[in-house]
Amino acid sequence: MDWIRKRLGLSAPGWLPFWVIFPALLVIAAIQLYPTLYTIILSLQQIEPGTGQFVFVGSRNFERLFGSIAFTRSLVHTAIFLLGYVAITLGASFAIALLLRQRLRLTPLYITLIFVPWIISDVVAGAVWRLFVVPDYGLFSPFFANPALFGEPNGISILTSVPPNQLSPRVPLPPAPALLFLIVASTWKILPFTTLLILGALQTVSPEVQESAKIDGASNWQLLLRIILPLIKPMLAVTLFYLLLGGINGVGMVFSLTGGGPGTSTEVISYLLYSIGFSKLDFGLAGALSVFIAVLNFGLIALTLKLSAAYEEQ
Amino acid sequence: MLRYRQVLSMLVLLSLLLMLSACTAPVAPGAPAPSASDTAAPVVTWYYYDQDNTDPEANERVGNFYLAETIPQFNEEFVGQYRWVNVPRDYNLVLDLVAAVQNNGDVPDIMRTGTADLPTFLLNNTVQDITDYVTNAPWYADLDPKAVEACTGPDGKLYCVPVSESPYLVYFWTDLYPEGFPKTTDAFLAKAAELKADENFALTYWGSTAFDGEGAGRYYYQVISSFGGSYDDGQGNMRLNTPENVAAVEFMREIVANGYSPEAAFVGNFEEEASFKDGLAGAFPTGFYIGYQYLNPLKSPTGQEFNTVSAQDMEDAVNTGVMGLAPIFAPEGATPGCHMDVFGFVIPNGAKNVEGAKAYIDWIMQQERAVQWVLRAGGGVPVASSVREDPAFQTDIFKQGAAALEASDCKPWYGSLTRIAEAKKLITETMFNLLKGNPDADIAAALAATEAEYNSNN
Repeated sequence: MDWIRKRLGLSAPGWLPFWVIFPALLVIAAIQLYPTLYTIILSLQQIEPGTGQFVFVGSRNFERLFGSIAFTRSLVHTAIFLLGYVAITLGASFAIALLLRQRLRLTPLYITLIFVPWIISDVVAGAVWRLFVVPDYGLFSPFFANPALFGEPNGISILTSVPPNQLSPRVPLPPAPALLFLIVASTWKILPFTTLLILGALQTVSPEVQESAKIDGASNWQLLLRIILPLIKPMLAVTLFYLLLGGINGVGMVFSLTGGGPGTSTEVISYLLYSIGFSKLDFGLAGALSVFIAVLNFGLIALTLKLSAAYEEQ
Repeated sequence: MLRYRQVLSMLVLLSLLLMLSACTAPVAPGAPAPSASDTAAPVVTWYYYDQDNTDPEANERVGNFYLAETIPQFNEEFVGQYRWVNVPRDYNLVLDLVAAVQNNGDVPDIMRTGTADLPTFLLNNTVQDITDYVTNAPWYADLDPKAVEACTGPDGKLYCVPVSESPYLVYFWTDLYPEGFPKTTDAFLAKAAELKADENFALTYWGSTAFDGEGAGRYYYQVISSFGGSYDDGQGNMRLNTPENVAAVEFMREIVANGYSPEAAFVGNFEEEASFKDGLAGAFPTGFYIGYQYLNPLKSPTGQEFNTVSAQDMEDAVNTGVMGLAPIFAPEGATPGCHMDVFGFVIPNGAKNVEGAKAYIDWIMQQERAVQWVLRAGGGVPVASSVREDPAFQTDIFKQGAAALEASDCKPWYGSLTRIAEAKKLITETMFNLLKGNPDADIAAALAATEAEYNSNN
């Protein structure tokens, strides 16, 4: 920075740093701050029927949102999805990363191959997984239609079966097979990325530390739990953070794989937002839901930051 | 010599100006730059067709080529006065128009639309009242009153110009229905049992909740209206829990429970069509225009193939007698019901060239122009009786479509409901749950709960 100051004839920092970042600030304001503020304003307004004018309605949109069956139902779907998606992805990524760390003969090839799902777009991946289970001709459809495995009379059809005796419209439990299938497909899609994140972290664990632990009599299990996991905890926190945010906000896979169906069985919160905003054109209600999702996201960010800070203090 | 600080300030100012310029009204894509001598006022249209897309395999190729051919014709006829500028849009043009009007953005002077979008436009005050213009136009008296009614708002004013109409009817394979499609529900069930014994499905239909409940106006409404039911009370309230609607749902449950329709009927994303196109299902209730335009290629139950992958396939199948069109079944003594799409034009609020828009409509409503528009840009059968008599609409498929329309009592499925996006989603979710999700659920209770949910926001 010194040479810049000298070249510009500025003896003190003055306004230069501000001017340098000013264009970027303008861009951020235009594409992030303004839409955010506008969404908050929108969440407090509603279109007056017939005039098309937005009128201030206070918290009415939030009351409508929290009182609607669709909202609580989508929250339950989102919670189930996140639980399965995060748990399976973290577990599988960790297991695969441990395997890849063994430096097998074809490890580079395996890493390359495992990365393939990551480069496919969500929409394409969803469409492909959908084709696997379309009734009549889907590759896996005969498997799921087997009554011996999945119950009389015709097994299950992933894209059309709904458990008949769910708790209530607001609490759609047990979940439909489509929601579980969505978890599997979404996991498959994200697995390469999270695996590489964890593999990278594993490779930073010093071999000397591990050898020392072994010399001191640690079993493989103890090595994993007491040495490796604590050392890669920051990366696990980042991965968890990434999965949670991606899981809450992602809509591409839902859109192309199930379209929220069968019925409303896979209508997660992000899909509900799309539906309210772009299908019903209920911009006020969509604004309220956006604000809710933003708060949810900020809460998760705060939680992750707190966890990271707590770890650093340790 | 400029100092570095000045240069830096200029760069910052330049970037600021660039950003501000990005916020100004964009030049309409597809709009040709006017020549110095061309002082004609632009008439801006929105279609989901693109006159510059010359791909012969494009999904909307028919409409694309229509625009490419007719835009120069219009411009030649109105040289020095009007210049047709089409802005190609994607399928979200209804949302785009509502948002553009609300935000005082760039709106077209005229837009092709269907009357199913009219309640949304009226709710959001998106389109202009054009009653005086339409009722005084020379072509007004020739229009089908049902289509005019579909363009009429609850206040009795006209908000669109109807050009074509597409009733919902049944396409059926004559291989499986050699004596025609059954007229009554009892006859249909008897025939369906026969077909099932031969391992054929009697029919497939849009049973899913896909596309935010598009199914509400299709098979579900066809059956419900044939049973004398409806979705509203005529006063803007949803009314589902009626004896007619309950009877219709019971009937549809019987079809599902007996396996007369394929599982794919509930999948969505057009999977429901596949078994009909492959000849595995004998019939498919859908819109006349949809079947004609999009159901291809075809393979009949006896293996005859029609695979030009265009509307020609359906036309050939009907002309050779392999495919037929009919009204949907109804209980003994009842008139078949159906939803009717009406396609035409709206003039949005904020349109800059309203007179140009009217000139455009008058131009389209001329006999030859209307024929071309209906065949290539609108879909369905003409609303104007004189246009319907044109030789282009005397083929078997159009004759059968018109006959089905005559034999049915067709009206917009949404009736007096105004929040139709919300209504269609609620209705299809309920129907799906009653037929597929929870086939033992109390029909009346489920219908009552749905209408209560909708009406609570009235």
